[in-house]
Parts: sequence; C-alpha cells; structure tokens
Amino acid sequence: MSNPFFYFLSCVFVAVSHGAMLFNVYTNGKYDSINDIIALCVAVIGLDAVYFIIMPFFKQRTYAVDFMLLFILNMSVIFQSCFGGVHLDTKHFITCIAALVSCRIGYVLCRNHRWIQTKKKFLWAGIGILLVVILLFTGDRSMWIDLGFMSIQPSEFIKPLLVLACATSIAEQMNKHEVHGLNIVYDNVIIFGIVAFVIVFQWWCRDLGSIPTFAAIYASCFFLRICYPKAKFSRKTLIIAGSVVGILGIVAIILAPAYVKDRIFADIWSDPDANGYQQTKALIAIAEGGWLGKGPGKGFLHEIFAYESDIVFATISEEWGLLFAIMTVIVLILMIAMPLVNPPRSYYHGTMCAGVCAAFTMQMALNIFGSCNMIPFTGVTLPFISAGGSSMVTSGIMTGMLVAAQSPVFKNPSAKQKKSSSGKKRRTA
Amino acid sequence: MDLAICAAAAALIDITALIIIFASYSEKHSGKKVWGKITSDMELTDESRIYNLECDEILIGRHASADIRLQDMSVSRYHAMLNVTDGKWMITDIGSKSGIFVNGVPVQHTRLYENDVITLGSKRLIFRKRRKN
Repeated sequence: MSNPFFYFLSCVFVAVSHGAMLFNVYTNGKYDSINDIIALCVAVIGLDAVYFIIMPFFKQRTYAVDFMLLFILNMSVIFQSCFGGVHLDTKHFITCIAALVSCRIGYVLCRNHRWIQTKKKFLWAGIGILLVVILLFTGDRSMWIDLGFMSIQPSEFIKPLLVLACATSIAEQMNKHEVHGLNIVYDNVIIFGIVAFVIVFQWWCRDLGSIPTFAAIYASCFFLRICYPKAKFSRKTLIIAGSVVGILGIVAIILAPAYVKDRIFADIWSDPDANGYQQTKALIAIAEGGWLGKGPGKGFLHEIFAYESDIVFATISEEWGLLFAIMTVIVLILMIAMPLVNPPRSYYHGTMCAGVCAAFTMQMALNIFGSCNMIPFTGVTLPFISAGGSSMVTSGIMTGMLVAAQSPVFKNPSAKQKKSSSGKKRRTA
Repeated sequence: MDLAICAAAAALIDITALIIIFASYSEKHSGKKVWGKITSDMELTDESRIYNLECDEILIGRHASADIRLQDMSVSRYHAMLNVTDGKWMITDIGSKSGIFVNGVPVQHTRLYENDVITLGSKRLIFRKRRKN
C-alpha cells in the first residue's frame, strides 16, 4: 500500500483474525493432540508472515485485494483442516499456496492491456487446446484427467482464458466490417463461437453445473460490449439478447437429460435417500449448527460425499455457525467488489473485472443456494473455500486479474525498440 | 465463554474486512497522484471549461454519455478517442464526419504534445498541463 501505516495495520488485523479463529479451534474444537493445532497455527500464521514480506516486492498501487485473498485463503485452510476433527489439511494448504502464486502470475500477465492484446490469438488457441485436451485425455464424456496422485479439471482453466479473450477484444468494437449489408465485428463473432462451442461441449460432457458460469462471463462481457464506447448502449439489442437467452433457457430445460430434470423438479424431502440426499443432510446440518456452530470438527456432515467442496457452505455452517459462513461469503463479495472502491482505468480492465465478478458471483450463488435447496444442486465449488486444485488455481488467476485492474500499467510493450530506432518525432505543421 | 470466543472471532473478521476496505478507500487520493504520473498530468480545455483525463480510452463526442461531451452540431456523436501509453496521449478519429485537426493539420491517429490545439468541427480544445487550481 502507498501508506505504510495502513499496510502494517492490515497485516496486523489479518494475522490477529486468523489467530482468533485458531484460538476458537483451541477452545471449542475437537482434536486428539495439541500438536495438530500447533501445526495448523504454524502453517496459517507462517503463510501470513511470508506473504506480508513478499507482497511489497510487487510494486502495486494498492494491496487490498491481496490482503482479502490471503485472509480468505487462510480462513479456508482453518475450515478445511477442522472438518471431522482438527488436523492440518496439507493438500488444501498446498493448493492455497498455488492460488497465491497463480494470483501473482495473473497480475503480472494481465496488468498491461497493450501487451496482452498482442497475444489475443494465443488466448483463443489456448481455449481450443484445452478443449482438445478434454476430448483426448479425459474419460468417457468426463471433464477430469486422472493422473493417479491427483486429478485435474482442464475445463476450469477455460474460465480465465475466456475472461481475457472477452477483455482483449473489447477495443475492437470500432473495427466494423460490412458483410452482406451487416456491420460485423470479427472478434465478437469469434468470442460468440468460442462460448457457444464451450457450452455445447459442457452439455455433451454432462457438466451442466459450469454452464451458468461461462454464460455469466459472456453475459457480462456482452453487456459491456454493446455499451462500448459508453455512448453506444443499445436497449433494443439488450432486449433481443435477453429474449434469446430466455428462449434458450426454456429449450435447455426441455432438452435436459432425465437426471437434470429430476434435480430441477425434485422435492428433496420426499426423496431424502437419493436425489435429495446431500441437500437434506446439508439443511439439517445448517439448522443444527445454529448461529455459532457445534464447534470445529464436531459436526457430522464430513461423512457426506463432497462435504469439502459442493456443500462446503453447509459444513462450515454446522461446525462454525451460520455467522461464520455468512461472514466468509461477505469477505468474498467484498474482495470482488474492490474495483468499486478503486475503479478500473480502461475498458479492458473494466471488462476483465466484470467477467471475474460475474464468474465468482455465479459460482457462489450456485454453491450456496444449491446447498440450501433454493435452486437445483449443481455441484459447483465455492471459490477459495471449497477443496480442489484446479478451481483454486483458476480462482487465483482470476483474482490476479482484479489485482491487475487495481494497479494497471499503460505501457507500450515495444516501446524500447521504437525508442532506439526512431527517437522523439515531433509532428510538423 | 466458548461462544463468546467464537463470536469475538467472527467480529474480528468483520473488523479486518472493514479495515482493508478503509485502507483501500484512503488510497484513492494517492491513486490520483499515481494516475497523474502515468498520464503526465494533462488536461483538455476549451473557452468555458476544463476536462480532466481520468482514464484511458476517453470518448469525445456530442452524445450525452460521451466522456467529454461537446454540444455542437459540427461534432459527431462519436468523434474521437484519447488513449494513453507510456505517459503519451494519442488521439484517434473514430469515424467522425468533420475529422480531427491538430494544430491545423488533419490527422487520423497521432500523438498529442503539450499546448496542442485540437479542432473537432468548430470546437477548439487545448491539450495542456494540469493547472493546480
């Protein structure tokens, strides 16, 4: 932070908050040995300290998003390490470090839009390569690659690439080409084609839970696209687009596979041992947890499938209480709302922020409302809180994009070469 | 007592989030200084008012929602775009009818220097260093 006092204050409060959570684990948690708690404390406070030292080496205008990210990640480490009994979840701890590293990578790659706009075609190619990888290396109509010691979900990596593809093409809105009497922007056609293909592909792979996230990214970018530049807002286009989306949604429900229809129209309480199994258990756990929970490690939900990912909101609610669960979600929302405090300075950074916010918001909504039976259960992860390496790394990259939008760089990537060859040229009248 | 610790921890999370937001908000002023450095602290002005250059990609036109609105029929609705790179401002014609003239020379895309006079239709703008007041 430009103000060292606030940097120090933020460091202290982040560390103290984590300390308070760890003290809560010590007083209220279920553990076999005090060594389990010591290991957790060393991991959490150690990661805090290391990141506090590393952060200033990256010269940024603000570190607010970084602080929020570190804050959430270590909360996540504490939550995950307490499910079913206190014990440091080493795998989750490593994926959190991976998320921090990928955040740095995302920041460095995305801060200069002049540079990344020259790499636009690589982004499109990257999405294509990922789709081919999914086709060739995953199982039968699956989205996972099993490496034995770990599994990777390549489709997760399409999300940041799609956000970047949308953001880098926003400036092309002025380059219209007349084709058969229609004014067409080639980039728009390409982006639409990519999104349509990804969604159809997800449908074919039966990973319907991710479709709303991709659709949300495209919808936010589409909205900004028809507003670019600001003056060119077209209400007519928006109404047409909204109608098309509505019709497509109805068609999708009609054509959906039987198991999806079951989930959409299922009454979970009449079928608690099959379709409603996870949701009924999740709702019971939330109710039993109350406002302040049963205590870390004292719940029963860790015995249910996907307790640490798909229904993690309910697991936190049970052990830590609804207050903690809501607080965690609020911190997540505040992190993605940071661009409202320090607004982006270009359409590229604005589009990038909108895409990231749309993706995170959709994922949070699907996970939390799905756990609470307010919408059909989709099995989407809660960013940074759910366990899962692929999700954690892509969420880290997307947070890096938010950081980049807060501390942008406006430099020409080839400025050095030009400087040496041409020098300063003054226009003459 | 145990519940009090749990509630205190939850309250601390809240306070920490607020402190980070407050810190971020306090950086708004220093952020403006940094932006001033990035953009060489320039501004546009005409006879009646001063236009701050607050972001990259500034649209100049007659339309109500243009970043810099020039209410003159000789100015197109979407006339020109200003961009900043390496502290240098560039102006680009985005399909205007009357074109852009910088110091009397018609241009499509060019760099702007201090005290350049930009003519859009019958409107004249001066590109100059930001004045303190």
